[in-house]
Amino acid sequence: MRWFFLILTLFAVMLAVGYGARGTKFSKPPFELFPDMDRQYKVKYQKPSEFFEDGSGARRPVVGTIPMGYQAPLNKKDTPVGSEYYRSGLFGDFYGDGFPEEVKVDAALLDHGRRRFQIYCTPCHGESGNGQGVVAKYWLIPPTANLVDPRVKALPDGQIFWTITHGKGLMGPYSGAVPIADRWAITAYVRALQGASGN
Amino acid sequence: MGNPFPRWTNWLPVQIVICLGALGTVVTAWVWYTWTPKYTRVGYQPNQPIPFDHTIHAGQVGMDCRYCHSFVENSAHSNVPNAQVCWNCHGPGKVKSDSPKLEPLRQAMDTSNSNYTGAPIRWVQIHETPDYAYFNHSAHVNRGVSCVECHGKVNEMPVVYHAKPLSMGFCLDCHRNVESHLRPLDEITNLDWEAHDLDKDQFYAYLAEKTGKPADDLKEADKNKELNARLVGARLKEMMNVNPPQDCAACHR
Ligand code: HEC
Ligand code: HEC
Ligand code: HEC
Ligand code: HEC
Ligand code: HEC
Ligand code: HEC
Repeated sequence: MRWFFLILTLFAVMLAVGYGARGTKFSKPPFELFPDMDRQYKVKYQKPSEFFEDGSGARRPVVGTIPMGYQAPLNKKDTPVGSEYYRSGLFGDFYGDGFPEEVKVDAALLDHGRRRFQIYCTPCHGESGNGQGVVAKYWLIPPTANLVDPRVKALPDGQIFWTITHGKGLMGPYSGAVPIADRWAITAYVRALQGASGN
Repeated sequence: MGNPFPRWTNWLPVQIVICLGALGTVVTAWVWYTWTPKYTRVGYQPNQPIPFDHTIHAGQVGMDCRYCHSFVENSAHSNVPNAQVCWNCHGPGKVKSDSPKLEPLRQAMDTSNSNYTGAPIRWVQIHETPDYAYFNHSAHVNRGVSCVECHGKVNEMPVVYHAKPLSMGFCLDCHRNVESHLRPLDEITNLDWEAHDLDKDQFYAYLAEKTGKPADDLKEADKNKELNARLVGARLKEMMNVNPPQDCAACHR
């Protein structure tokens, strides 16, 4: 009896030490007791796939098509959503000015533009667009553009849109993260900031 | 005829029962403690190809989660950012562009790098629901559920780990008692938000604006109450008519 309890206590201590407390950090994938249907053989978001030659699960749409519910990612001439100006900010080879007919500039659009601006642009351009965002402090060479500067104010709307889409100089393109409608909303909000700045 | 069994054996059956009981207790305790996602998942912290630090980016630099997890509001899946997003700030001549920690990023993006492959960075997924359960981010974050409810304080994690069990029980605990878990939609990505930070007047103005009806009667009813998570949640639930599903087919479809 005594021996049994001694061994049992030892066993319990070993379990406790060996398994540790809940929430302990570990780096091996979590154990799954019955993994039957947990990981099914199908392509999932942002996952690699051995089925395709290039190893990528995400496929590009066939040229000239758009998946349902999506907008044209770039200003490809062959994608059928919206006017060309709406998609590219360009009329032919020139930046257009004014907002395309697909965009209705109203308080709701500006409000949406403000939210998007505060997510994607403030880290560098700052809340007020003056180019003094947090990251600007870490930036080495040329200063981040001051969006409320008269020079930028004079740029056509299409060029602001185009810059968000393709980037400029040190600024990267934001077409991947910001859909077209949001880019126009941000453009409208940048205009509002410029108006409010009094420059 | 003598007794073939010595006297002490009289107690043997009782002893066996006691021992088995004790053993059973230990084993049960062990199973109870470890055979649960609270044990098997919480704390999972895989090694990532780049030691990406949320305390720098979401904390110090103050980036919104959606700068990187940009489709969390529009899609079932919350994306991990592509290399271009990092390149915006860590490209040549920019922030820490020579850091050895960023070597995998340069391999993915920098065409002048001798090791350039152009292959995406292989981040290890931490939170992963089984494929038989359906989960949708946009259904939650657009209805007032913050990231912190399911992922913990990511903005304070130098390395992300699995902070909540995300088991079926965990999902249902909230679905059955959603009042204590809702917040105004502007605060979804503000993980440090507390209900009592809210300004009372602003909150009722927000309700009025969202519903398009004056919220004076609600304000009057809550006059003597402090704004706590439950009260705010209850008002928001009413306002947005939040009603999380509890039937099996909602998640196992
Ligand atoms: C990673 C930091 C960063 C972010 C984020 C960023 N920008 Fe920029 N932006 C810059 C820098 C740096 C420049 C200056 C580029 C140059 O002239 O080389 C610039 C330039 C610009 C210009 C061009 C001004 C000109 O002189 O033509 C516009 C317009 C602009 N940004 C708008 C935006 C908008 C709108 C957003 C949000 C979607 C944004 N930027 C996000 C860093 C950033
Ligand atoms: C600068 C870009 C960036 C920002 C901003 C950012 N994240 Fe992340 N996040 C990442 C990257 C890259 C990963 C993948 C690497 C890792 O897990 O550390 C990640 C991973 C995660 C994961 C784990 C994903 C998994 O595999 O299960 C969660 C949860 C998460 N982030 C939540 C947040 C929240 C909440 C915020 C806002 C407070 C935020 N992130 C802000 C880039 C970012
Ligand atoms: C908006 C700009 C911005 C973006 C986007 C960004 N970072 Fe950073 N990153 C910073 C800043 C600022 C620092 C801090 C540098 C310092 O402390 O001097 C930093 C630091 C780092 C460091 C630490 C470097 C070192 O040597 O200590 C790593 C690693 C890193 N980032 C990875 C990433 C990854 C991976 C991504 C893409 C998911 C990313 N960053 C996106 C701005 C950014
Ligand atoms: C209601 C709970 C819940 C909320 C709220 C929530 N998440 Fe998640 N998140 C999950 C679950 C569950 C998964 C695993 C999903 C899967 O398996 O695809 C996940 C996965 C992720 C991933 C990893 C995706 C991948 O493939 O690597 C990221 C990144 C993430 N969430 C970010 C966020 C951010 C940012 C927010 C807030 C804006 C957020 N989540 C809000 C439950 C939640
Ligand atoms: C912190 C609270 C919370 C947690 C945790 C939570 N949910 Fe929800 N869930 C909600 C709310 C709020 C809604 C929205 C109800 C509505 O729209 O009326 C919702 C809605 C849903 C829906 C319906 C979506 C649709 O498209 O109709 C599903 C499915 C769901 N949740 C699954 C899950 C799963 C799976 C988990 C666990 C990983 C989970 N939820 C965890 C609060 C939560
Ligand atoms: C809120 C969403 C939700 C609802 C509602 C829900 N489940 Fe689940 N269920 C889940 C999630 C998420 C998991 C995966 C849990 C995990 O990974 O730990 C799960 C796991 C399970 C499992 C475990 C499978 C295994 O191998 O571990 C069973 C069985 C199950 N659910 C049955 C049901 C039944 C029966 C109902 C209706 C009474 C139901 N579920 C309702 C989300 C839900």
